[in-house]
Order: sequence, then structure tokens, then C-alpha cells
Amino acid sequence: MISLEAAKPYAPRMSLPVSDVDDDAALARRIIDCAPERDAAAEAAICRRLGPRIRLYGRKHLRDEAAAGDLMQDVLVMLLQKLRQGGIRDPEQVVSFVFGTARRMVVDRRRGDRRRGRILEAFPVDLMPAEEEAPEPLDTERLKHCLAVLPDRERAVLVMTFYDDRPADAVAVELGLSAGNVRVIRHRGLERLRGCMTAPGGAI
Amino acid sequence: MTRTSCPPAQDLLAYWLGELDAAAELRLDEHLLACAACSERLRAVVDLGAAIRRETLRGDFSFVTSAALIRRMKETGVRVREYSLEPGGSVSCTVTPDDDFVVAYLRAPLRDVRRLDLVIDDATAGTLHVSDVAFDPAADGLIMVPSTSYLRTLGHNQQRVKLVAVEGGDERVIADYTFNHYPS
Repeated sequence: MISLEAAKPYAPRMSLPVSDVDDDAALARRIIDCAPERDAAAEAAICRRLGPRIRLYGRKHLRDEAAAGDLMQDVLVMLLQKLRQGGIRDPEQVVSFVFGTARRMVVDRRRGDRRRGRILEAFPVDLMPAEEEAPEPLDTERLKHCLAVLPDRERAVLVMTFYDDRPADAVAVELGLSAGNVRVIRHRGLERLRGCMTAPGGAI
Repeated sequence: MTRTSCPPAQDLLAYWLGELDAAAELRLDEHLLACAACSERLRAVVDLGAAIRRETLRGDFSFVTSAALIRRMKETGVRVREYSLEPGGSVSCTVTPDDDFVVAYLRAPLRDVRRLDLVIDDATAGTLHVSDVAFDPAADGLIMVPSTSYLRTLGHNQQRVKLVAVEGGDERVIADYTFNHYPS
């Protein structure tokens, strides 16, 4: 996660509290309207809001946690740069900008592009890596129990799906089933698993 | 797609696993970047999947699987001790500290089998009837991965495993196998 705690030389001159109800566009507008000064609170808030989504996009398309973290940082740097410099005139377009930038960076990374260093050199950022808000941890003992008591067929499909993120058609070929059947078993298994995880005593 | 119409969890999973066509994936890419609620929902699905993988690798529960998955596990450095048994066969078997999994290949003709049950008679744990296991009728048997954690608790132990075809109300034993476990 990106922390917007400013390094000393770039200490923000303006900092307003951010309301939870501020959405991405409202935050973008605050940053645009504040330029050339900085609204550090709005910058921090927009990074907190968009960072996890960009990271997830990176995990999906790059299948690599570290690369997804880099992507998140690069996209947020580009976004703040554009907002501060007036490169995004319509705040409503902020997500479109993020999407387009993330998509282009994923393509570049797949091509082995190594421009990341140049981006960071060209735009010396006072953003420091920090802890991402961790999701509530799963109860692993409960999960172990729930997996053990699942119907065998559902457990087999879930293991084969999630061991290496296999789509239904690939699992289907390995089990002699149809892809549709695998989806049904997978869905049923996940529903049962979720139910077990929240049921008193972990009942199926 | 609006913020109030997050796709159901199975659609998010299909997206994550690359099952959507390119246009649908693109639409969902954009929606997920715009919608914190859907993105969080997807993250919950993905995190649950990752937890299932971690629990699988801990070896705390048994499962049946495919030869292809065992191959992929080995390719990624998972250490697998393998035993292959013909119908009626028996084997002396163990698990060592170096093993991540023990895999039993139960050879049997399954081509005409519609439903397959496993009956496990374990001298320590008792009898377990596992109904309707996942199997490929075109494969030449069933691949069983017992809980490594359980195996590590055993001293000398005998386990008899029967493959039972179920058709209507009738049950037919296809093959049985005997595992004579010894501690490593």
C-alpha cells in the first residue's frame, strides 16, 4: 500500500480532512482544484481507495504479488502526477484514467518493458511503501475442518481449482466431467464452505 | 454495470479464473476498478481460494485428485511419495519428514462406472464410507491423497481400501487394496 505520508522536503502546504463519503471523483476534484498546491489528505485518501483495486487488477493480470504491488505504486504515481499537473480535467474520468494506465502498464510488463525506473526518476515521489490494510484473517482451523467435511466431489474440485487457479474447462478435462458440471460443483462447494465457516460449530 | 449491481460471486470467480470472453473480462476489469464493493467481494473470493491452496499444501485433509495435478505439484517442488497398486494389491508404505504428500494410485477399470464410493477400513481410525468420489472414467484408476498430518501420527497400521461401484441401489466392489503403514 502506498502511504502518502510526505517526506520532509515535500511537506504539503494544505491538508483537509477527508470524509468517508468522498468518492474517487470528489477526491480527484480536490487535488485538481488545489494545484499547484497539494491536498495531501485527498491524495492519501484517493490512494487508499484506489490502491487495493489496482493491486487486485495486477494480481489478476500479472499473477504475481510483487508485480501487482509495483503496478499499484506506478499507477498511483502517474495518477497523482496527472492530477497535480492538470492532465485530467474531468474528475469523473479518474477511474478511466486509472484503468487505461493500468492496462497499458500490464501490457508493457508482459512485453518485458523496464520503464518503471524511468517513471520513478522522472517523477520523484515522496510516497513511501507502507502496510496495506490487511483483510480480516480467515480462521484456518475452521477452514481445515470445513474442507475435511465437504462432500468429496466438491473438495476435489475446489482443490483442483485453487491449487493453481485452474478454470472449469481444465478441471473438467482432468476429471472427465463437463465444464458446466465443474462450475456447478465448484459453486456448491464454495457456498457450503462459506456456510460452514460461519455456522456455529462449523456444520455443513 | 452500476455500483449497485455487483456480479454474483460465481461470476467474479469465473472472471478471476479467466473463464470470461475478452469483452466481458474487459467490462468487469473496468467495473472492478470503479467499484470498491465489488473489488472487495472479489478479493474475498480470491483470498478464500488462496487459503484453500495453503490448507491443501499443509496436508491436513484427504482428497482424491487427478494425475495432472500431482504432476503440477511435483513441477513446483512439492515432494510426493507415490505408491501404485493393482487390484488386490498390498504395499508397505510410510511417510518421511521429507515428504509433503503421499499419493496412492489405485489401479482399476472404471470405464463403465457411474458413481464410485470409497470404503476405507483403517485399523486406527475405523471405517469411513466416502460417497460419490470424483474420478475420470477414462483414467485407469483413482488417485487418493491421504492426510499427511494423519499419516505422521501413525505407528504400524493397516488400512484396507475398497472401490465400490454404485448403480441404482446395487453396490459392487471393483477392487480392494491394502496399505501396511510403518513409521519412518
